[in-house]
Amino acid sequence: MIKKIKASRSEKIIFTFVIVLAIFSFGSFFLIKDKCLFVKNYDPQKINFSDKKNIAILNVTCGNVIIELYPDISPMAVKRFKELVRSEAYDNIAFHRVIKDTLVQAGDLEFGKKGNLDYGKIGTGKSGLGTINSEIDTPFSFEKGSVALVRTQKYNTEDSQFFIILRDEPLYETEYTPIGKVIYGLEALKKIKYLDKSQYVLRPDFINSIRMLD
Amino acid sequence: MSLIRLIILSLFIFTQAQADTIYNLIKIPNLEIYDIKTPNELRYLYAKQPFTIGVDNNINCYDSKRKDLDQKYEIIQKHLNKYDQNFLKKINLKYIVLCEDLSISKINTAGIPDNIMKTLILDIKFNKNYFERVIHHEVFHIINDSFKDIFDKKIWSSFNGKDFKYAECSTCTDKLGLDTYTNTKGFFSEYSKSTASEDMAEVFSHLMIGINLNNLDPILEKKIDFIKTNLLKIDQNFIL
Repeated sequence: MIKKIKASRSEKIIFTFVIVLAIFSFGSFFLIKDKCLFVKNYDPQKINFSDKKNIAILNVTCGNVIIELYPDISPMAVKRFKELVRSEAYDNIAFHRVIKDTLVQAGDLEFGKKGNLDYGKIGTGKSGLGTINSEIDTPFSFEKGSVALVRTQKYNTEDSQFFIILRDEPLYETEYTPIGKVIYGLEALKKIKYLDKSQYVLRPDFINSIRMLD
Repeated sequence: MSLIRLIILSLFIFTQAQADTIYNLIKIPNLEIYDIKTPNELRYLYAKQPFTIGVDNNINCYDSKRKDLDQKYEIIQKHLNKYDQNFLKKINLKYIVLCEDLSISKINTAGIPDNIMKTLILDIKFNKNYFERVIHHEVFHIINDSFKDIFDKKIWSSFNGKDFKYAECSTCTDKLGLDTYTNTKGFFSEYSKSTASEDMAEVFSHLMIGINLNNLDPILEKKIDFIKTNLLKIDQNFIL
């Protein structure tokens, strides 16, 4: 006759702990893989905007980033940005320069296109429309979410590249031409791929699309 | 031993790509904002740690105690507030870097102007007797570098006596004295005799601190007139 051995109390606790740990590990594996899990995706159609013609929707991997453009502050820069948005030139363009929690930069139409990335030259490309003058004289507070055009070390070299800051950068005022501010969806930009050791990203994330709301 | 190496290596691997906004703007590391809400929009930065820049890393400067910074900032701001925002924009000056024991190629200097980067580095520990004057002296170098055609060295040199010749460079001579002459004879200080641009900077700085202009010699009068006339070409509202 086989004698039944009852599990002791401590054995039961350990068994339960192992089961819980297994479930947690297994669940985490799938949850962690989804980097957009806790990022809210904003639907622009469900939001009331006072000035629809100056709302741009930047769609990235983790959802929509809604940008309000400021033509009163930088008329030429906003005109250039809208022109490129309407021609869908920014679609499939890389976020080639990303600094964690600081900024994301994209818009190199020449060397940053998906399928035609040139890592040696990315960040130096042009739109073909020529450069425009810097518009830095109107006061603008470079708070988190501000969008501005990129330039070289010299002023008046703005073209198609733009950056969005993920933290306040007061020193950027009168240095860079602002074009607008992110009003919804900044969290989606924080999930853009970055590297620990370099500001320039290998196998970067891409802009899915940018469209004007009107 | 290999474990220690692994730990050290992992520290480097997992270090973030740092975002140094100030470095990106003016290419000087280890700086922090001191004051950016100023009437003429000058941005004052200070060295939080020593920094080395320049060709072959020949420019060095060190961090200062907060108390010294606060004390000297009062003086520096009082003098730099004499320049309005519009003028500063024209001459390309926006950032003032405050540090101490500033040297270039191991030679101590009061300031290093760089109009391309819109930056003036100032040694806050520079000789107290001349400190206020050298602020304007260094600003003139920014003006001069931004408007080289206006401040023609040949015209300037023609004001001096025929026998006088400037040195090849400001450090190629031992004429380094900054005391203001009582008997000027065409020059405000010994250092004025080093090069034409240093001479111009000395004239400008003496004017900016409001030196008594009575009883000047004819050469200095010509030099002052030259500086004043050319500054008005840059900015009609500039008041000396």
